[in-house]
Amino acid sequence: MRLLIVEDNIELARLVAAGLLTAGYETDVVGTVGEARDAVRSVKYAAMILDLNLPDGDGLSLLVELRRRMDPLPVLVLTARDGLQDRVTGLRNGADDYLAKPFAVVELVARLEAILRRPGQLLGSSLNLANLVYDTESRQIFIDGIPRVFSARETSVLEILLRRQGRVVPKKNVEDHIFGLTGEVASNAVEVYVSRLRKQLGEYGARILIHTIRGVGYLMAEEK
Amino acid sequence: MLRFKSLTWRVVFLHIVAVAVVAIFLPLVLFWLLTSEVNHLHRDAMRDQAGVLGERLAVKPDGSLTLNLPDSLKDLYSEAYGRYQYEILDQSGRVLFSSHKNGEPIVRPDGSPPGAIAGASVSKDVGGQTVRIQVAEDLAHRDVIIDDIIANFFRRVGWITIPVLLILLATDIIIFRRAIASLVRASEEAKSIGPARTDVRLPTQKIPSEILPLVTAVNQALDRLEDGFRVQRQFTADAAHQLRTPLAILQTRIETLGDRAGARELQADIESMSRIVRQLLEIAELDTVVLDPSETADLRAVCAEVVGSIAPYALAGHKDIALRGTNDPVCIRGNAEMLQRAIFNLAENAIKYTARETSVDVEVNDDGSVRVRDCGPGIPASEHGLIFQRFWRGDRRRTDGAGLGLSIVREVVEDHSATVAVENLPSGGAQFTLRFQLAGEMPADKRQN
Repeated sequence: MRLLIVEDNIELARLVAAGLLTAGYETDVVGTVGEARDAVRSVKYAAMILDLNLPDGDGLSLLVELRRRMDPLPVLVLTARDGLQDRVTGLRNGADDYLAKPFAVVELVARLEAILRRPGQLLGSSLNLANLVYDTESRQIFIDGIPRVFSARETSVLEILLRRQGRVVPKKNVEDHIFGLTGEVASNAVEVYVSRLRKQLGEYGARILIHTIRGVGYLMAEEK
Repeated sequence: MLRFKSLTWRVVFLHIVAVAVVAIFLPLVLFWLLTSEVNHLHRDAMRDQAGVLGERLAVKPDGSLTLNLPDSLKDLYSEAYGRYQYEILDQSGRVLFSSHKNGEPIVRPDGSPPGAIAGASVSKDVGGQTVRIQVAEDLAHRDVIIDDIIANFFRRVGWITIPVLLILLATDIIIFRRAIASLVRASEEAKSIGPARTDVRLPTQKIPSEILPLVTAVNQALDRLEDGFRVQRQFTADAAHQLRTPLAILQTRIETLGDRAGARELQADIESMSRIVRQLLEIAELDTVVLDPSETADLRAVCAEVVGSIAPYALAGHKDIALRGTNDPVCIRGNAEMLQRAIFNLAENAIKYTARETSVDVEVNDDGSVRVRDCGPGIPASEHGLIFQRFWRGDRRRTDGAGLGLSIVREVVEDHSATVAVENLPSGGAQFTLRFQLAGEMPADKRQN
């Protein structure tokens, strides 16, 4: 599985490539929009890490070009500009995720893997956190290697929080994920499922915490 | 001299002065012309009468002159009627004939007439003799109709000049207003120009050629201004790239050190440096991005975004953050990105100062206010006026900040015509309150108009 890094700063590109290699990913590095265009035409990449500020143009234009061709190549945008507006623009133009400089390579790897584990992407279907493994295809949950049974709704909650581990998932998104966009949802339904999930995870000895960010949503992280 | 700000009023004022002067002098001049014309008419009439008298003179066979007046003329010159008088003098000034029975001369030798009279004198040759025929009219008995016209001139005729002049004034105001209509339109257009809309230019069509150089100069100044803003924006974007990429390299390089001694401290240094870079860039951006007054934002959504993005940072420090208050959208006037930065900086500050295992509260209310509360030591009252200054730091020993966060808050607040207040809570901790204008309300500066 090969990744394409589009970054004009050779030193940063080299370090990111080294970090990704440690995590088990081989990479090609290009420094301009033109080279990147040629690269994606000739090689089938698993994902692209795209810097926006490139010497021969804006990385976003390349992204727009790809999406116009209906190319589903997952793209993680790296940028020095981290205004809210920039992020919205980037995501609207078809970026799968967005990371502002400076960033930790572990964060970059985590974001990449989250993209690659999306349905239809190349990475295996399992999501991991601490001693928990979740298989997205069979919807099976393993804690310390032992399969554990959760209800369908709680499994859904676990899945969406696991996919975006370390980040806050708005309560509305959890609701939509469990119940779909149709149907009335009791206002405390999500709370009920989250608290049940939390209790069961505790009982099964998962080293996982589900933080409630009051008024916003939930965040799943490893217990330290 | 009175000074009017409005060009229209200046023109109207000068016009009124001119009209007033003309309204006084025009009737006087007309009156003078009328009077002199009437006098002229009278004099001509007198000459004609003298001529008629002359035709009645005849030479007798003895060479003396005789005057045969018909009865109608006798009546006209009778002393009973008293209006007209005549005398016919020979060359030496002797009175030959006179309407006066006693032969009293019309013009006394000392030159003073008996009462006010007006008359004419003509010379005529009759049978080799030159005579002077003098006809006079007693002004006290003059033609009543003509005198009435003169006496009533102001009342009957003179007034017409005033409405005529007023109509002229009104017409001129209309013409003037039409002439400057294009300028008024240009001014309206100019009102919409602000740093947020530097693309607007004044219309040059239909602008009078006298004003065109001014409009063109203003447009050129706007071109330069827009250029300045563009350069500044580009600089900010470039600076962001040039500063953050080396930081990213540094961070990645430190990560490869693993858990070796010092790596953790270096990471913390990079984090605070990144924050300073972010804040400096935010300040630079705030100087160029200016609010579009029609823009609105959902304050609750902005706060949810801030709390969500900062929560991992809070949790990592064993602190909590919560969004409280209303669950409904709070639509206010403002730019979501700028608001997000202000509230982010407040929340970040609060998390920095709040104690471990305590919580930061961000509370949104439907009156357009946001409160950010922490459980830290609070802010000494003596520093409340200072904390919003750039590079202010309460505790100089702390090295994890440059004192920019609250200055960003203040700038965003000022741009939004909002207010920020800080107070210490009785339970300990500081509370910052931001108050924005709800989208439905008129902004304070417009309300006064």
